[in-house]
Amino acid sequence: MRKIAIVGSPNVGKSVMFNNLTGAYATVSNYPGTTVEVSRGKAKIGNEDFEIIDTPGMYSLLPISEEEKVSRDILLKEKPCAILHIVDAKNIERMLPLTLQLLEAGLPVILVLNIMDEAKRLGINIDVNSLEKELKISVVATVSTSGEGMDILRGKIEEHVRAFC
Amino acid sequence: MLERFAKKIGYDDPLEVYLSKLQALVYGDYPLSRRSIALLLLQEDKDVLDLIKDKEKERLDEILKIVGEAGAHYSHPLTYIIGQRRQEEANRICDAAISFKERQRVTLRERLSKVLMNPFTGGPILLFVLYYGLYKFVGTFGAGVLVDFMEDKVFGEYISPFMINLVKSTLPFKLLQDLLIGEYGIITLGVRYAMAIILPIVATFFFAFAVVEDTGYLPRLAMLIDQLFKKIGLSGRAVIPMVLGLGCDTMATMVTRTLPTKRERIIATLLLALAIPCSAQMGVILALLGDNPLGLVVWLGVIILVFLVVGFLAAKIMPGELPTFYMEIPPLRLPHLSNILRKTYSRLRWYFWEILPLFIFASVFIWLGQITGIFNVLVRILEHPVRWIGLPSEAGVAFLFGFFRRDYGAAGLYDLKKAGLLSGNQLVVASVTLTLFLPCIAQLLMNIKERGMRMGMVMSVFILWFSFTVGYLLNIILTLLNLQL
Repeated sequence: MRKIAIVGSPNVGKSVMFNNLTGAYATVSNYPGTTVEVSRGKAKIGNEDFEIIDTPGMYSLLPISEEEKVSRDILLKEKPCAILHIVDAKNIERMLPLTLQLLEAGLPVILVLNIMDEAKRLGINIDVNSLEKELKISVVATVSTSGEGMDILRGKIEEHVRAFC
Repeated sequence: MLERFAKKIGYDDPLEVYLSKLQALVYGDYPLSRRSIALLLLQEDKDVLDLIKDKEKERLDEILKIVGEAGAHYSHPLTYIIGQRRQEEANRICDAAISFKERQRVTLRERLSKVLMNPFTGGPILLFVLYYGLYKFVGTFGAGVLVDFMEDKVFGEYISPFMINLVKSTLPFKLLQDLLIGEYGIITLGVRYAMAIILPIVATFFFAFAVVEDTGYLPRLAMLIDQLFKKIGLSGRAVIPMVLGLGCDTMATMVTRTLPTKRERIIATLLLALAIPCSAQMGVILALLGDNPLGLVVWLGVIILVFLVVGFLAAKIMPGELPTFYMEIPPLRLPHLSNILRKTYSRLRWYFWEILPLFIFASVFIWLGQITGIFNVLVRILEHPVRWIGLPSEAGVAFLFGFFRRDYGAAGLYDLKKAGLLSGNQLVVASVTLTLFLPCIAQLLMNIKERGMRMGMVMSVFILWFSFTVGYLLNIILTLLNLQL
């Protein structure tokens, strides 16, 4: 079974995304660092079954704490065929450096701009096409708690898998 | 494939020269692009260094030399230089993609957020949350109303009489009857403790906790008590495992992994095992002392004092850098009822299936112990320290239970209280001792798993000795002051 890893800074909604994709339940809270162990689940996307891996939060590819190291090891050792980098759309500037690091490393990244509802409420408008063009990867805007954008994300994952895996 | 897709960010000229020199020396097969490997090398990443030592043996000296030269060329650490360049690139991309609408005035959320983090306003709010969320909802409603209902009505009037009749009519052997419905029977003690006492308390606690959790209150609480925590060698970051510990110390011990230094992790593990009562314990203690507000205050005062003194001493014994504190403050959010219910349910299920077998096992164990006489020997041994802290010898049984789980022990005290065997002072002393007492078996195992066998055992022995010492001193102090709680 091919693998899809979910990565990103703490408290951006990785576990909710995991729950949405797999239908399983990983504990979700409104504070950073809830996930300290790796959760795995199965998801059907298109006609294919994937193993979805939810990882503890990481700020950078250069790990500082034990959980960050766990996350990096997953990326390096398990060789997922897609990496969903989840970022908080409100703080995209602070989180994009990790996207850049993942891309520098040549990893198969899809960028997910989550928590779009709060970003919109703050008056932040993000041009997804412009990001796609700059980064040359798929970018999807989502609100994981309400499920908005999940279908588009699944579609992009299918495309990604067809093109690169 | 890695090389084909790797996106290139341009760094400044000298750095690019070092990078291309390094890339040319890295031949092996890596899970990252060579450029990324070179960048991590320049930032002295330990894992990548180990990889290189393995795969590029012949060129190792040359590689290390270049890394050294690059480091010497810059006055700032390379991690900083590289990170800064990436941030510039991120900013450039964002500037092109992001536009801002007219920013609204300071929102209500932000104002509320500031109020929560300010010591003068945040303190009273904390007390408010503790009083209504914990004391009223969990203590009075969960541990009072719900427990009474389950104990007196559901078990007292229906389940217990029904099961007792059923067992008596179908099982003619006294010995087997005792196992199921005796004084310490599986149904009359194990299942009853689990379902009628622990379940309602833990359910209300997990519910209240999930609400607090999802609003984003906890990180603000962390900011609020960061200063206090620094004094005991912890950063505000440790607030999260500590507050989680009020739910379940075992889970919380696992979460200490988010603390950055080993020293902080050890201090936090010790404090969790010693002075943070878990939800089940706290609930039963609220039930024990709920009608005795002064006793509750003394209990709380002693536990907080122990927490601060032990933390302070541990921080002194284990010298190390003062922790720095940096934490994401997520926005305040209105919790979704569905997430709260789901979370409460999933934690409750996890918790319940963990304790029920243990409670049943304890009943079987005690039954075996009674048949062989070991039970009485153990109780008699425990009666000494128990009497030593001024409790009636019947409480020895509760402490024996406490070895299985502290909440089980507290539930045992609850039974004693209902039978009218404990005075106010004795209840407070017993509650304090049992709160400090050895963690449940699950937490003991988690301590050993996370901190190692030696540290886990040292902590346990210390806690065992310490809890009875504090109980002893408290009893003496209360007697000397002639206080009747």
